[in-house]
Parts: sequence; C-alpha cells; structure tokens
Amino acid sequence: MTDSPNRSVSRRSFLTSAGAVGALALAGCTEGPGSGTDNGLSGSIRISGSSTVYPVAQAVTEQFRSQNPGVEFNLSRDGSGGGFSNLFCEGNSDFNNASREISSDEEEQCSSNDIEYHEINVATDALTVIVNNDFASEYPGVTDMSIDQVRQIWRADGATTWQDVNGDWPDEAINRFGAADTSGTFDYFREAVLGEDANHTSDYSPTEQDNTILQGVQQGRYAIGYFGFSYYQDNQDAVTAVTLQAEDGDSYVEPTLENAKSGDYPLARPLFTYPKVSSLSQDHIAEFARYFVRQSANDSLIADQVGYVPKTEEGMQSELDALNEAISNA
Amino acid sequence: MATRSESGFGEVSRLRGIVFKYLTFGASLVGILALGVLLAYVFWDALGLESAGTAWYLTYTVTLLAPLLGFLAYARDKPEVTAGAIELVGFTLAGGTLSFAAIIVLIVIAGPGVWVTYFLTVVAPVIGLFLYGQYEREATWVGLAMLGTLVVGPIVGTLGLGAISTVAALLGAPGVYFLSLVVPGAGLAAFLAADRFDASRRVALGVAVGLLVLAIVGVPVVDTVPIVARSVWFAVLVMLGLPVGFAVTNTARQPARRAAFALPAIAIGGFLVGEFVVGAIGATQPSPWLDWQFLTSPTSSLPADAGLYPAVIGSVFLIILVSIFTFVFGVGTAVYLEEYAPSSGLLGTVTRLINVNISNLAGVPSVVYGLLGLGIFVNINIQFGPVVYAGIGAGTVLTAAMTLSLLILPIVVISAQEAVRSVPDSLRQASYGMGATRWQTIRNVVLPRSLPGILTGTILALGRAIGETAPLIMIGAVATKYNPPSGLFDTLTAMPLQIYTWAFLPSEEFRYGVVAAGVVTLLIVLLSMNSVAILVRNKYQQETY
Repeated sequence: MTDSPNRSVSRRSFLTSAGAVGALALAGCTEGPGSGTDNGLSGSIRISGSSTVYPVAQAVTEQFRSQNPGVEFNLSRDGSGGGFSNLFCEGNSDFNNASREISSDEEEQCSSNDIEYHEINVATDALTVIVNNDFASEYPGVTDMSIDQVRQIWRADGATTWQDVNGDWPDEAINRFGAADTSGTFDYFREAVLGEDANHTSDYSPTEQDNTILQGVQQGRYAIGYFGFSYYQDNQDAVTAVTLQAEDGDSYVEPTLENAKSGDYPLARPLFTYPKVSSLSQDHIAEFARYFVRQSANDSLIADQVGYVPKTEEGMQSELDALNEAISNA
Repeated sequence: MATRSESGFGEVSRLRGIVFKYLTFGASLVGILALGVLLAYVFWDALGLESAGTAWYLTYTVTLLAPLLGFLAYARDKPEVTAGAIELVGFTLAGGTLSFAAIIVLIVIAGPGVWVTYFLTVVAPVIGLFLYGQYEREATWVGLAMLGTLVVGPIVGTLGLGAISTVAALLGAPGVYFLSLVVPGAGLAAFLAADRFDASRRVALGVAVGLLVLAIVGVPVVDTVPIVARSVWFAVLVMLGLPVGFAVTNTARQPARRAAFALPAIAIGGFLVGEFVVGAIGATQPSPWLDWQFLTSPTSSLPADAGLYPAVIGSVFLIILVSIFTFVFGVGTAVYLEEYAPSSGLLGTVTRLINVNISNLAGVPSVVYGLLGLGIFVNINIQFGPVVYAGIGAGTVLTAAMTLSLLILPIVVISAQEAVRSVPDSLRQASYGMGATRWQTIRNVVLPRSLPGILTGTILALGRAIGETAPLIMIGAVATKYNPPSGLFDTLTAMPLQIYTWAFLPSEEFRYGVVAAGVVTLLIVLLSMNSVAILVRNKYQQETY
C-alpha cells in the first residue's frame, strides 16, 4: 500500500474519455424555466389514464405551463381502465383521461373511496381500422368493409380466415392486432362494433402500445388492426385505412377528421377527461381545467398537432358552463 | 509436452484445440459486432449525421481528423508524450465529469440552503477531522469521531435545516458556493503546489490567492453570458479548473512531455478552423437531435422541442441515492457474512441458508421488485400504536431509489462476498500472527485488497439500476414531468422511462431521432458515472498489487 511515485494514468484515462464528453457540454444548464406571463398560480397536478388522450393532455399541459411556470404536471399513460382503478379512484390523481365513458364498476370504486368526479368531453376520435399495404393492393376489396364484416373478424367464434368473411378474399388466417382490455379503445370497440351479444375474440395480439399494432400490421401480410386516428395520421404511408359502411346500402366512409366531425364516420368516439371535484377547489387545478376545456376547441392544437376532432365553439361553451358549475360547488 | 511428438510418445490431435480457439473467437466477434452495429446506428440517428454534406465530412477530415492521426503517429514511439497527452485529456474529462456532478448535485438538486447546511454539519467536520488525523498520527479517536459525525451530522443538519438555510439565504447562492467550494479549492491548490510540485510556501500561498482572485474577477465576465450563473462558474472553476491546472503544470514541468500540448491545440484549433471553413463554403451541417436544447429542456409534444433535462436530473438523483444505499447495506452484509457470521453448527446452517437465498434473489425479475416496492412503499397502511406508516408516496424519488436498491442489493452482496472471499487466508493469518485484532485485520488487510472487486460488482449493478424501466412503472413514476424533482418526496421521471414513453408516440421522428438522442445521453451519463468509480478502483488496484 505504498503511494507509487510514477502515477500512470493510461488505463483509467481511456475509460474516462468516452464518458465525460457530454458532461462538459452540460456545465451551464441551470437557468430557470423560460419567462412567461406568471399569474402567480403554483402547485402540481397529477394526470393519469388513457394513452389515446395522452398526446392531447401533453400538448395542453405544455401550453398551460408556458403561461404558468409555477404549475408542475405529472402525466402518466396507464390506459383508461388502469388509470381509473389503480390511481384515480384510489385518490392518487387529479385528472384521469379516458377514451370511453367511466364504467359502472369504476363509478362504484370511486364512490366507495368518496371520489367525486366531473366529466369533460375534450375531443372526438375516428377509430381507424387498418390493413397491410401489400394486402390492400392485391385485394382492393378489403379496404371497403361493412361494420358487419369487421364484427365477423373480431368477435369470438367469428371468422378464422379472410375467406370466411368474403368468398373473394384469400384463404389465409387472419392475423389480428388490437387494444388490450385495460384500454378504453378496447371497451369502445367492443361496444360500438361487436355490440351487447358478442365477445371480443381472444385470438389476437393485445397491446397498450399503438406502435406495436402499427408494426404488426406493417409486417404481417394478412394482418388487421385498429387504433386511434392520430396514430394513422402520422403513419399514413405505412398502412392502409379501411373505409367503413355503417348499414347495408350506406356509402363507405373514409376515416378523416371531417367525416368524424360531421358524424358520417361510424366509429367516431368521444374522448374524455375526468377531474376530481375535490381537487377543483384548488385554484391552479380549476384554472387548468378551464384552460383544457377552452383548448378543446383549438383547431391547430387538437386537429393539426395531435390529430383528433376539436369541439365546436358551442360545444366547448356548454362544457365550460358545466365545469364552472362544478368548480363553484367544489 | 504434447506439442512435440516423438516416436514412442502417442500423438495428440490439436484439431479440437484449434476448433475451440476459433469458436471462442467467433463468439466474441459476433457479440462485439452486434453491439458495435447497434451503437453506431443509435449514434448515427442521434447526431443526425445522415444529413451532413460531403463537404462537411471533407472539411473536418482535413482540419481535425488528419492532424489528430498525424499526432498519434508522431506520439506512437514517444511514451513521455503519450503519457502527457493522456494525462491532459483524462484530467480534462474527469474534471468535466466532476463539475457536471457538482452542478447537478449541489446546485440543481440540493440548492444552496440544503448544501450549506450539510456542508457545515457533515462535510466540513469530516474533512477537518481527517486532516487533523493526518497531522496528528497519534490521535486514535479521529476515526471514531468521523464515523460519529457521519451519523450525528445529518441528524443535526436536518434539525437545523430551516435556521441555517435562512442564514445562508442572506449570503446568497453564489456566496455559499464561494465559501464551500472555492475557498477549500484554494486550500487544495496550495497543498498540491507545495506537495507535488515542491513550490515554496510563498508560491503556494500565491496559487491559493490567485484562485480566489480569479474566481472574483471572473464574475463580471460570467455575468455577460446569460446561461452561466455565478454559482455554476464557481463550481466549474474548482471542479474543472483544478484538475486541468494540475495536468497542465505537470506536463509543462517535464520538457520531454511538452509536445503533448499539441493535442489540445490540434483539437481546438482544428475545430475552429473547421467551423470557419464550413461556414465560408456553406457546407450542409449535420442536424443532430442530441444538442444543447435537448439536454436543457423538458419533453414536448413536438419532436423538435423535446428534451431530457428533468429525466437526466431524476436519473442522477436516483442513482446517487441507490449507490449510497447499496454500498452501505451491500458491503456491510457481505463483510458480516464472510468475516463474522458463524460458519459451523446450527447458526452456520442459517448463514448458508441466507447465502443461498441471496443468490436466488439476484435472479428475480425486476417487475417483481417493482411490485414489492409498490407493496411496501406505496400501497400500505400499517399502525403501530400511535405511529402510522402509510408508505412514502407513489412515484417519489425515495420510493424509486429504495425499490431499485432492493433490486440490485443481492448482486452487490454476492460480488462483494466474492471479493472478500478472494483475499487469501494466509494474509489474514499473518495479520493475526502479528497481533492485529479482527477489526484491524479487516480494516487494513481485507477491505483494501477486496475493494477493487467490490467496486467492480457495484459498478455493474448500478449500470443495471440506471437502465431499469419496469420497476419505475410499477411504483407509479410518471411519464411526463416538466421540472426536475425538487426533493426526496417529489415525483420523478427517469431517463429509461422517458425513452420508453417516446418510443411509443405516433410521430416517427420521436421513435427514431428523439429516442436515439435519449439513448446516447443515457449511455454518456452512465459512462461518466462509471468512470469515477473506475478511477477509484484503479487507484486501489495500483496500491495493493
């Protein structure tokens, strides 16, 4: 244990060199957040729930924060059901996003923990059914489906090959990619497409991540999947969207924001956020809730940036009135 | 013997040996190539090298790459120059890492109030006692007093936190860092000048005063640069300036080494000339995702504005806590089990049972530890009489740090046990034979010999902890946060969690560019922290062997 006089540094220096490159670059990063009009609001807001609504929540919180630097947000993506049952109804979050309405089980769980909530409809999504590009160019017929055909593909004990759905289509097994059952997308799809008397098939790859659905359909030739429109909007070249026919004799409607807004598209679904009423008594949370509602009519934010259908001015105004009512009662 | 066959000796086929040799070679090649391709791919995306024009590559080849290769060729057969160059680069990088760590830990995470409190109650007394112990070798109570300070100091500090931070607030943040960093730094500089470079008392004093003057004179200059605060200037001056100054002085004092100064000259000069030429001829530059903006801003819904700052701070905060917890508990457990725990009889069976269980725990998947953390730190409510334990909060820094510590504790214990076991028994017996007590033997023989092994195991385990995502998700760490955690009980997001979130966003730019930049940042932070531990390990390795 003598201190050797020839202190060689060769070995350690090589090991350090790669690591510290970025450290120098970071050496000055301690200034505060950017300036903004500070209204004196401060506090933190916990938002849980749907990964479908997450992009909307992120865009809105980001804008709100640039005007109110004192407010800190904690956002997580847990799925609509996961957020309700693990966080919101246990009293661990202030807002829960959902891509469907709150279910009766969740209502019960919330009320048993004395959690009162208020429902806000923030946007509308066009649930999009997608198929593989090569499959669509080989069999152009698959890009036009009736809701009944979609039901045959996705219900339990339904079709197993494409030929079962339509005699002209190939005798190949259907490769399905869909939402996991903690997801609000799953609940909406089951209710809107499959109806009361049919179950969702279990012969599919369930996931909470839309990315997995996109890649699965992109790579599987005879694959079909469904997810929110915003994911399709950002990846229009990767997969082909199916145009849908609500009833026999109706026309096939393309999934677009216009068609969802006009109500022509059969799978247009509302997206929600649920603030906790007791939290609304805090100024920064009430102010953020109002801001969220006002932004839900912001075309450039909701439609262009995120990819959902914004609310109309009147629709937004009535949500705002209802919210103000809830805030005054909080 | 078998390599040479003579008549009368049987022949041994060497075929199997050769086949085996090439099989092992092939195995290592596949692994290294796969990793290399992956890293190259990530760096390529993160730095946006695809978009750079041929002119950009040509310019930097001529101004930077060719001179650097020339210098390497020149220095190849001059060991003194090579050693000097490595010392310059190594100390600069180590200084950069240190200032990065100081800024994050002392300025961003702790803040002046908290830092000055624990500086006064823990750091300063411990350093003072250590120096006194070096000066007065006879004072055997110093070691115990240091241990006592480490235990009592934090308690006193926590109790006096409010009062001391109020007083410190009068001083202002820069004043706090001047007193706690620059003044001790000046003392260290004087000591180094006198001890290493045989400077006279007057010169050493001059060095110390020079550093203080430089710190103050630099303030008006720093004030003109908006992104560098005064506190940051003090931290960088001490943490980067001292190592660089040391390396420069050391190199300049040895004439054979002076050629090494060509390396920084080539690097800085080549970069500046390259920038100038690229600007002049208008060559297309790469558009990196990993840039200053990425490192200093929070995440965003727009890929171009997204950044990793809160997650970097969160991860560093987390890993510092985890390393403290695992080192104290892991090494403590290992030393007890190897040196003190009974190895025979009924109690010996219990020891063996515990050992087997620790080995098994090391193989338990991380999600299970996440659930454990959720169960004992978050969703819990126990009452012991008047005391209610209701967990330490969902997704808080402390919850995450304790969960990750539990996760890697078995690995740390096993590797530390292995290191302690590898110290030859003859050394212990020799120590006992000279009349040393068990404590003296462990303190002076076992721990120094096993420290390199202990550190290796801890480094590997910490590398695993910093990259874990699953347990963080389980305990409710959040996906998006705009400010870094402000304390132990604030929620956090960490780098792997942020990268995981980006990887599943709709936009392709997030899934390729931003994710790649995040991965590269994670690697850089991981390697910088490991390099500190590796430096410590190498120092002990050189001392013991």
